[in-house]
Amino acid sequence: MHTFMILLPIILTSLFTLATIPLLVWMERRVAALIQNRLGPNRCNIKGIRLGGIVQPVADMLKLLFKEEFYPKHIKQKFYYILAPSIVFGSSFLSFMVIPYADDITIDDYTYHIQALPIELGVLWVIAFAGLGVYGIIIAGWSSHNKYSILGALRASSQVISYEIAMGLALVSMLITYGTISLNPIVQQQGELLFGFIPAWGVVLQPLAALIFIVTAFAETNRAPFDAAEGESEIVAGYHTEYSAMKFALFFMGEYIAMSAASAIIVTLFFGGYQIPWLDTAVMQGNIDLVFISLMLIIPLFSLGFIRWMKKNNSSSLSRQNETKYAIIFIVIGLIAFEGLLFYMLDVGISALQTDLSVMLLQIASFAFKVMMMNFVFVWARWTFPRFRYDQTQHLGWRILLPLALTNIVISAIIVVAGV
Amino acid sequence: MGVKIVPRYGKSFKDRTYLSAVFSGMKLTLKHFRANLSDTSSIPTSEYPEVQPTDITERYRGLHRLTHRDDGSVRCVACFMCATACPSNCIFIEAEERFDGIDEKQPARFDIDLLECIFCGYCVEACPCDAIRMDTGIFSIIAKERHEFVINKEELLKNKGAFGEENSLAQ
Repeated sequence: MHTFMILLPIILTSLFTLATIPLLVWMERRVAALIQNRLGPNRCNIKGIRLGGIVQPVADMLKLLFKEEFYPKHIKQKFYYILAPSIVFGSSFLSFMVIPYADDITIDDYTYHIQALPIELGVLWVIAFAGLGVYGIIIAGWSSHNKYSILGALRASSQVISYEIAMGLALVSMLITYGTISLNPIVQQQGELLFGFIPAWGVVLQPLAALIFIVTAFAETNRAPFDAAEGESEIVAGYHTEYSAMKFALFFMGEYIAMSAASAIIVTLFFGGYQIPWLDTAVMQGNIDLVFISLMLIIPLFSLGFIRWMKKNNSSSLSRQNETKYAIIFIVIGLIAFEGLLFYMLDVGISALQTDLSVMLLQIASFAFKVMMMNFVFVWARWTFPRFRYDQTQHLGWRILLPLALTNIVISAIIVVAGV
Repeated sequence: MGVKIVPRYGKSFKDRTYLSAVFSGMKLTLKHFRANLSDTSSIPTSEYPEVQPTDITERYRGLHRLTHRDDGSVRCVACFMCATACPSNCIFIEAEERFDGIDEKQPARFDIDLLECIFCGYCVEACPCDAIRMDTGIFSIIAKERHEFVINKEELLKNKGAFGEENSLAQ
C-alpha cells in the first residue's frame, strides 16, 4: 500500500501526459471535423471495432515509428539536431510533475501528497519548465541550418519571451490573492465558498488574471491563434521543417503534452483544481453514503444518455451495427458491476480507508474531467481563430496584456493590503 | 452620382478589445459542433465505399469506352484524330484494313494508358465517328500493377455507357 500510494501520482502523471496524447490527437481531429461539418477520421479499426476513430492516432504513431530515420546531409551539428526535440518533449513532460491530482491523504499516520513531485515551489517549477521548452525550439531552428527553420525558431522564441512576462505577472496577482506558491494549498483554498454559495475559484476572484493567463498559455504552447512559429503558409513548417519520423513525433507529442500541461495549470490555478464545486474533501468524507447514492443515480443516467446517442449516431454505415450492440452490452455489464459494488459497500458499511480512497478517486476524476474540458477549449479555439500576424502578436503581448497584468497586480495588492 | 459612405468598423473600444468578436466566433463554432455531435446524419459527408455517389451527371467524364455499330462491330475507323488531339499522348492505335465490307479501316490495337490520361475529353470531341466516349460513369479505376492500367480495345469495347445511347450515333 505504501509503495503504491507513493507510485500512484507518478503513474497518474505519465497517464495524464503520455496516455492522453492519442486521446488529444483524436479529439483535435474529430472536433475540428465536427466544427467544419465533416466527419473526421473514423475508418481505422481493429477487427471492425472503430471506437469512433480512436484507433486512428495509434495507426499514426505506428506509421511514424516505422518511418526511416532520415538525417539531411547539410546538418553539421547532429547532436543538437537530435537534442532539440528531446528538450521540447522533456520540458513539457516535466512541467506536469507538480500538479496535485487530489487532496493530501493520510493512511496509517503517513500523509501522502498526490503530486508526482511534492515540492513547495510548485508555480515556479511550472513556469521554469514552460520557459525551458523554447530552448528546444531555438536549438531545432539553429541546428536545422535552414532559413525557414531559423525564422520559425526566432518567431517562437520572441513570442514566448514576450508572453512569459505577461504570464508571470498574471501569476503574481494570483499569488498575492492566495498568499502561497505551493499548488496544493492554492487548490485547497479554492474549495472554500465565497458569500456562502459561489465556489471561490480563481476565475471568480481574478477574472482578468484568468483571461490574461489563458491567452498567454495559448501563446506559450505555440498553438493557434499564436502559431506563427510554424506558419505553413509562410515558412513551410517553421522549426520542424527538417524533422521527420520519431524526431518529428517528439515535437508533435511535446506540443500536445504542453497543451495538456497548460490546461492542468490553468485548471489548478483558476478552475478549482481537483475540487468538486460545493463539495470539498471534508464534506465528501462526512457524507460518503450520500455521495455513493448520488453516484449510483448519476452514472446510469449518463450511460443511458450515451447509449441513446450511440444508437442514433453510430449506425451511419451498415457494417457498424454490431459495434453499437457490443458497446451497449459492455456498458450495461460495467454498469451492473459498478452498481453492485457500490450497493455492497453501502450495505456492509464503508471504512475510513475506503472513504478516503473513494474521495481521492472522485477528485482525480474531477481533475481529469476539468483538464479534458480545458483541452477542448484549446482545440475549439484553434479551429475558430485565424492565425495572428506576427506584429499583432507582439502588439497584443507588449501593449495590451503587459499593462493589463501590471494594473491587475496593483489593484489586487491594494485590495489584499487594505484587507477587504 | 451619389457617394456611398462605407462605415468603417474596428475603431470603437468594443471592437478594439477583440473580446466580443472572439466570443461570437467561439459561439458560432460551438453551435456547429453541438448540432453535428447531437445528430451526425446532418453532416453532408457521404461514407464513400459503402455509399456511392448519386450526383454523377450525363456530362461527367469517366472511364472511356469504344462504341459499337448497330450490327455490333467496332465503330472506330482508326483515323488517329483522338490520338492527335490527346494532350498527354496516352492513346496508342494500330490500324488494319477491314475486309467485311462495312468499312475500310479498323483498329487492330486501341490502348489507353489510364495513368497518363488526364480525362480532359478532347478525344471524345475530336472523334468524327462518335466512336470513343467517356460516359461510363466509372470514376474509380483500380489495379495492382502499372501495366494493368493500360486498357486495350477489347476492354474498351466491353465498357457500357451509363447514360444515353449504347451504340454510336454516327452513320
